[in-house]
Amino acid sequence: MDWLEQELKNALERKAPSPDFAERVRRRTRGDGFRTALWPQRWLAAAAALLVLAGAGMGYRQYQGNQARQQVMLAFRIAGAKVNHIQAQVKERMR
Amino acid sequence: MKRALPLLLLGSLCSGLWAQQFKLNLDHLAGKAANVVDISLNGPMLQFAAKFLDNKDPDQATVKKLINGLEGIYVKSYEFKNTGAWSPSDLDAVRNQLKGPDWMKMVGYTSSEDGETADIYIRTEDKKINGIAVLVSAPKELTVVNIAGSVDLESLSTLGGHFGVPKLVPPPHKK
Amino acid sequence: MIGLVTAPQTGLDFDALMRRHQSLVFSLAYHFLHDREVAEEVAQEVFLSLHRNLRNIQSPEHALFWLRKVTVQRAIDEGRRRARRPQVALEGVAEPAAQIQPQDPMLRETLRRLIATLAEAPRAVMILRYQEDLDPAEIAEILGMPVATVKSHLQRSLALLREKFARRSMGEA
Repeated sequence: MDWLEQELKNALERKAPSPDFAERVRRRTRGDGFRTALWPQRWLAAAAALLVLAGAGMGYRQYQGNQARQQVMLAFRIAGAKVNHIQAQVKERMR
Repeated sequence: MKRALPLLLLGSLCSGLWAQQFKLNLDHLAGKAANVVDISLNGPMLQFAAKFLDNKDPDQATVKKLINGLEGIYVKSYEFKNTGAWSPSDLDAVRNQLKGPDWMKMVGYTSSEDGETADIYIRTEDKKINGIAVLVSAPKELTVVNIAGSVDLESLSTLGGHFGVPKLVPPPHKK
Repeated sequence: MIGLVTAPQTGLDFDALMRRHQSLVFSLAYHFLHDREVAEEVAQEVFLSLHRNLRNIQSPEHALFWLRKVTVQRAIDEGRRRARRPQVALEGVAEPAAQIQPQDPMLRETLRRLIATLAEAPRAVMILRYQEDLDPAEIAEILGMPVATVKSHLQRSLALLREKFARRSMGEA
């Protein structure tokens, strides 16, 4: 290993995340899927607003369809995440 | 009698559907919540949405299959900034509707450590699941999900980990 | 019905895995994206995904492999999504401000920045090689590419870095 490779190892050595990183992850695992599930909704709201503004380019039916599709995906995402979360917790308690 | 028959059939269909659903009387919590998800999609809305799901996207393809046979999906999820924003009676109002003979508690747990409770109820007909209720509560969160219709639980449980990231990566070969 | 709760029992403890591998996951994302805040977001998402998929993880070695693979995938996705930093050629990055001084913190920062401007594949290869100290075969398995391609990315990236520093050294001479 020459000087450059040694310096690369030094430059790319592992770094610690912020001290409360693990706790923040733990908090999110308790409501797994909930917070992340909100992002698509916010994105959806922004996208919906844009779609309305660009209404000339897209029909109202298409807009409604996209909204319905996003809502369905979000609903299943939340449902799936909750079922998974419960399953994991029950499994943990069965150990 | 000829006139009454369709009405009777419609009545029995409605009563069946009604039994799969229950009232999510939680709207009063929306004002207190920091984040709210409120989704209410009946059968026709689901079928309409299915037309816009893209089969090329694996997640959307899975959901499209799940929608087949569903009569509705209803989600209410509230996240609060502070504890005490919701009361046990809010959840009891939902839970009491699931105490009838149609519903059965399939699995549940209570964590005294973090104050979280979670239950999954199912409704079966001819040994097939035709309704699911999921209730999750924590000091700062309340989520109720109701899926009415024929549900494949296995597929549903894969969805939570199926979005965005591969569900399973094979273990590495031994060197 | 019981099937819902009878996943294979692996005995893996999520908290322990997170404690053990949080630096690994965060650093992979950080070195890939060169943005601490974004890297923490990616690392959080990776551990949330691990939490959801824990029943599919068969051993601690599998967890380690899974974390490396998923972190790289997530970092690539995030980099594409945010597109904060335009992909520029290595030649386009400012050359080191001074001659190479071993143990120079500025040199390390320069190297990190240079790595962060590599294209996705060579960037992932270099980070897995020098952060995780993996050999080309292990990197190939994680990234799902032939070993020869991994070696080629390593050689070309090292050659570009050497050229960058050599040009600077000659200029100073």
